[in-house]
Amino acid sequence: MSATTVPPGYTAAPVLPEILPTPKERGRIMGFINRHPTIVVGGVLVALMVLIAILAPYLGTKDPTALAPAKRTRPPSELYWFGTDMLGRDVYSRVLYGARVSLTVGFSVACCAGIIGTTIGLVSGFTRRIDAIVMRAMDGLMSIPQILLAIALMALTRASVQNVIIAISITETPRVCRLVRGVVLSLREQPYVEAAIASGTRVPVIIWKHILPNTLAPLMVQATFICASAMITEATLSFIGAGTPPIIPSWGNIMAEGRALWQVKPYIVFFPAIFLSITVLAVNLLGDGLRDALDPRLAKRL
Amino acid sequence: MFAYIVRRILATVPVVLLVALFVFSLLYLAPGDPAAIIAGDQASPADVDRIRESLGLDRPFLVRFFDWFFHVIGGDLGVSIFTNLPVSHMIAQRIEPTVSLMLLTLTLSLSCAIPMGVIAAWKHGTIIDRAVMMTAVFGFSTPSFVIGYLLAYLFALQLDWLPVQGFTSISVGLIPFLRNLILPATALGLVFMALIARITRATMLDVLSQDYVRTAKAKGVGQRGVLFVHALKNAAVPIVTIVGIGFATLIGGAIVTESVFAIPGLGRLTVDAILRRDYPVIQGVVLMFSFIYVLVNLGVDLLYTVFDPRIRY
Repeated sequence: MSATTVPPGYTAAPVLPEILPTPKERGRIMGFINRHPTIVVGGVLVALMVLIAILAPYLGTKDPTALAPAKRTRPPSELYWFGTDMLGRDVYSRVLYGARVSLTVGFSVACCAGIIGTTIGLVSGFTRRIDAIVMRAMDGLMSIPQILLAIALMALTRASVQNVIIAISITETPRVCRLVRGVVLSLREQPYVEAAIASGTRVPVIIWKHILPNTLAPLMVQATFICASAMITEATLSFIGAGTPPIIPSWGNIMAEGRALWQVKPYIVFFPAIFLSITVLAVNLLGDGLRDALDPRLAKRL
Repeated sequence: MFAYIVRRILATVPVVLLVALFVFSLLYLAPGDPAAIIAGDQASPADVDRIRESLGLDRPFLVRFFDWFFHVIGGDLGVSIFTNLPVSHMIAQRIEPTVSLMLLTLTLSLSCAIPMGVIAAWKHGTIIDRAVMMTAVFGFSTPSFVIGYLLAYLFALQLDWLPVQGFTSISVGLIPFLRNLILPATALGLVFMALIARITRATMLDVLSQDYVRTAKAKGVGQRGVLFVHALKNAAVPIVTIVGIGFATLIGGAIVTESVFAIPGLGRLTVDAILRRDYPVIQGVVLMFSFIYVLVNLGVDLLYTVFDPRIRY
């Protein structure tokens, strides 16, 4: 670099650190964005919601459960960005903390239903005798409309976030189970699996090494859709009073509380509704993008 | 074909039994001992035992299940803990709004979704296709109660075109009936529409690349004839399948939509029962909706024979 003359009274800026990606890397990143715009948009939005949920206490929020009867049902203002609800609680704080419940439920259900469903599906797809019984039981479970099953399960137990996760996981597991079983049934006819069986590989090893890796791609796509569906189910359950206990601010709860007043104070209902819709949309976009990226054959069709 | 129909009907029997078993187990596992509740606080353990025996609650699980199941078949769903009315009676009182809502929703969403999907497949890759698919993703991602509030805010509160909430029986008149139901049906139907539009587009894309479609075009069948007669009929089987499966979301959505629009239907009955922990009512509603769901899917399976006479399983 040639020495540039620095005017008197100024100091030369230090050499900029190499934080920007090199042109080649930049090309690769832009290429990814161009090819999979839905993954990027969905991923960024999901990441944003996760950040909001984690950083909720530092984003100018107050105690989301603090009552202030003197300041009931204030419209959105500089002091209360999303207004206050009928008990004087700050809606902005409640909505931000509500992100924690939704995301926790979404991710936990995706993990629980994913792991349990995969295990049952793998075993069931590989052992004919268990298969018949398990699949009939799954058919039975799937014959009960999902929300109703979740409602019935929640009616049995105490309202808590943990029970909501368990109830929704039970309703989602049969879907995963069927998906994995289907993949297993088609894979076990593949020559390489037959070869593994012929060469005396033990069944658990075949499942773990040869079958499981091939189920991962459809499983990941399914998991994102389950995550989105679980967030809607949680909000629905809370909205009708069968979900997260009212003391915990969740989007469904905030809407349920705002319901009585919504014709005069619609903002109490609309702010959590907007957050819920954006989050679910983001997760669905991510799932759509993943499906397109992982299964180009399907991408052309759907 | 007759053998197929009989076989399909027989195949639903174990499913119905399984569903009934699940639902019965729910009440069986429900917290609280009915005998102790009926006996009251001052009853001695001997009294409680006597009541339990007289109610038959001391019999083995399976005996109680089949006893209950035959009552259900005979239309006896038990008695509500809260109102002391027969559950079947309570359901019968509330069924009209719910059935009206679901039928209107089905009609509306199918009559929008199928043309949308067909046009998207026909204009594959164009702006129209993208617009339809984006609408579908949005419809898919927005919970029906959110759409419900949005629609009610726009068309009822702001524009004042339609009533905000409530239900009018069709016996009062078709116009008030439709005015009350159009917003809930739209809110509920959007998710369903998204689902059907997507699957219609996907199967139509498949069908449109088949040889017989080319033949039909070659022999001079018009664009509309090719799309709606030759292609759509062959795409019908997957579409009807999804309609059957999607019926579950319709049922779930109806419960919530009724809360939003204050419609006195089965959804409200369910929500009230949850809040009061009225287990027989919850059980009755879950059982009834599950049976309807199973029957709808049986109907779908039987429809296959109409759309695709090749089907002989």
